Amino acid sequence: MPALEPVEGWRVVATPSALDGARWNGDDVDVLRIAPDEALALGATGVEIDDPDAIVEPEAGFSVAMLDVDDWHGVVDHIDWPLPEEPSVLAQGKVAGVPARIVLGEPTLLVVQAAYANELRSRLGW
Amino acid sequence: MTDAPAEVAGRIVVDGRPIEFADGDSLAVAIVRRGEVPCHGGCLCLAGDCGNCLAEVDGVAYVRTCQVAARPGTVVVRHPAGGKPQLPVVDWRDLTLMPVGSKIAVRRTEADVAVIGGGSSGQSAAEAARSAGRDVLLLDARNGSEVVGIYPGPSIVTRDSGGMLHVRADEIVVATGSVEIQPACPGSDLGGIVTAGAAERLEAAGVDLGRVVHVGRELLRFEGDAGRVSAVVTVGMDATETTTPCETAVVDLGRAPRDVLARMSRAEGVSAVGPAAEDQPLPAPPRDGVVCPCMGTTVGDLEAAWDQGYTDLELLKRASWAGLGPCQGGACLPHVRSWIAARTSGPPPAPFTARPAARQITLAEAAADVAIDAFRRTPLHDEHLTLGARMDRFGGWWRPWHYGDAVAEYWAVREGVSVGDVSTLGKLVVSGPDVVEALERIYPCHVADIKPGRSRYALLLNERGHVMDDGMILRDGETRFTLTFTSGGAANAEMWLRDWIETWGLRVHVMDRTMSLAAINVTGPLVKTLLARLGLEDAPRFLGHIRAEIAGVPCHVMRLSFTGETAFELHHPLDGSVALWRALMDAGRDLGVRPHGLQALFGLRLEKGHVIVGMDTELDTTPRRLGMDWAVRMEKPAFIGRASLERTAKLDDSRRWVGFSMDGEAPTEGSPIRSVENGEIVGNVTGSWTSPLLRKALMLGWQRRAPFADRVEIDGREAVVTPTPFYDPEGHRARA
Repeated sequence: MPALEPVEGWRVVATPSALDGARWNGDDVDVLRIAPDEALALGATGVEIDDPDAIVEPEAGFSVAMLDVDDWHGVVDHIDWPLPEEPSVLAQGKVAGVPARIVLGEPTLLVVQAAYANELRSRLGW
Repeated sequence: MTDAPAEVAGRIVVDGRPIEFADGDSLAVAIVRRGEVPCHGGCLCLAGDCGNCLAEVDGVAYVRTCQVAARPGTVVVRHPAGGKPQLPVVDWRDLTLMPVGSKIAVRRTEADVAVIGGGSSGQSAAEAARSAGRDVLLLDARNGSEVVGIYPGPSIVTRDSGGMLHVRADEIVVATGSVEIQPACPGSDLGGIVTAGAAERLEAAGVDLGRVVHVGRELLRFEGDAGRVSAVVTVGMDATETTTPCETAVVDLGRAPRDVLARMSRAEGVSAVGPAAEDQPLPAPPRDGVVCPCMGTTVGDLEAAWDQGYTDLELLKRASWAGLGPCQGGACLPHVRSWIAARTSGPPPAPFTARPAARQITLAEAAADVAIDAFRRTPLHDEHLTLGARMDRFGGWWRPWHYGDAVAEYWAVREGVSVGDVSTLGKLVVSGPDVVEALERIYPCHVADIKPGRSRYALLLNERGHVMDDGMILRDGETRFTLTFTSGGAANAEMWLRDWIETWGLRVHVMDRTMSLAAINVTGPLVKTLLARLGLEDAPRFLGHIRAEIAGVPCHVMRLSFTGETAFELHHPLDGSVALWRALMDAGRDLGVRPHGLQALFGLRLEKGHVIVGMDTELDTTPRRLGMDWAVRMEKPAFIGRASLERTAKLDDSRRWVGFSMDGEAPTEGSPIRSVENGEIVGNVTGSWTSPLLRKALMLGWQRRAPFADRVEIDGREAVVTPTPFYDPEGHRARA
């Protein structure tokens, strides 16, 4: 079964232009632009951003599963909304009725808030 | 007429009696072969179009028996004559006795074009689409794909042997052909009547139909004996009636589009082709008898509805129930249209809308892979279970209701120290140059004068001045605040803030931290001792807040109180929550620390008279009705809800939320509050608690009848209106 594990990172709310130019610290950072003015940087250890009013917070409230093709096939039957056709595009919607975020790729990232992780595992039979 | 098959393939059980069937028989054919009817009469089409062969099959009601192959041991139970099959009864007092639902698989697929129906028109449509290079999915009931409905999208829900199939298509082509028109005349609900197509099927199956009479548009009525047709009465051009005795009447009244699915969606991308889209001659207008066999609607019912003014087809449908049954107008629509055309001497109205499901599905099939709301878990969920908590669902979260002894938990708060998981509270961070202006407009209290490191309780009002939520405003810096909200109201509050800030065009950033931060409420007279042991030497004073490490976990420490005792909320990152909880429990062991659940918390807050928005409040609750005018500063020039509050301030109000007390045990929450004079209900209890400390029943609730009485009756006992807080009205203990 795929592992859905807590992940650390940074979360930033700032002006869209400042977020566009944000400089993320860390070796293996996945930046999810979850709203025009908000980014979740998984694996980031810090950020520099040109917005004095930006809200910049360490984030430990998410869990992530890295899905190979077989794992992904088991998940996709629980999605009833159109997924983007291009890889690496962030998709947001419900998986088995649980709010989640998906980045298609190899592997595919399945991101869920930790408060929902147990429920999602249960619904996916993990 | 009673006819055993030449070669018996097996036996089914109908209403407890075995019935033999031949290879290839459907359940309906096997029953007709026996000389019986699958339901309680009515013309059989044996094509899945009418509702006259519905029965319970292997425990599932409303099954079209003509569409189910007979298999040995299949159990068929006729629906009650003139009634509906019983739903399974579940004892609500023990829901664990509820039958376990079937697990129905759901597959999802997409296609450029989905064609429903595999006849010649469907094949043509599919071929044309393929020739145009489009991806085609063909769904044919004869191959086991029963389309249940067409939904916006457009999308199709289908039932097949693998479960449920959900299809999303750019284009849907309905190519379902046509149906035979059912008779609508006196006696049409008798057994022994079949359509011409059904007669062909029965004859092909070797079923002896006895003396057969074929009848067309000259049909006037059927006559019967013991529920079966015994004669057909026709009328000639010269109006003479002819009665022809028979054992089976074969009806050929022409055909109508099989367009139930096409009538479910008028959306772009859904079209009908072939006979499903072709206008056909309507039957003669019915003059008497049952028009809609599914719902039992008669011509008399149509006339009664029409006379009440329901002269539009859609309204006539709703008023007479014609077309509301399992076949969604498949049988009655041509007759009702013809009846209206005759009534108005005009063209027939366009067909009425059909609703899913075109095929009756079980609740399990309807609910397959439909997930109920997901309830969230705090990072302390497993800690609660380890401590023996009984968990329950509140405000979208799993929360501990108690840990086995709510009264002991109460005493720990009042006399010692206790910890409670309040991770579920809504938490927003707002920041920006316009943040003070935004919050001044949003909240009815002053915001600008809150100093960094200080906080203030606040109501959240809508434009009508009704209470939406409540929480704390904590100032972190000149242009940054933390806001808290109730657990159940957090999502709405976030949306509310974002919407207004965007509407006003103010420069304010908003970050929702509700699920990113956990929070533990540490409360009781010994709380400072406990926190000092874990590193909090300089605790903030009442309504102050600081950042501090406690047991090595970075915390936003908020000094406030919902319990009435000294209390600190420790907001912290999720990954430090278990360590912090355990440190508090370990360090407080000699202080008698124990966790408290919601049951104790609700009692503690009730003694303080604190409102719980959503539990005590209603959709039109104002601060005045709650006795919380003090939380609204009308001297502010503008805030959401101010205009409404100003307009209504001088009006009398016949509702107020107050405290009550009486001797004995607390009554059930929700109990009616009655007048002691005449027993009339004048309010209701919203919160109820037998106070271990005050040794009486304390209640919060609504009075809805002015002038307000000082004495009321609750649970058959006299209760008196009592000022709140019931406990520590000066608030010394919370500020200690």
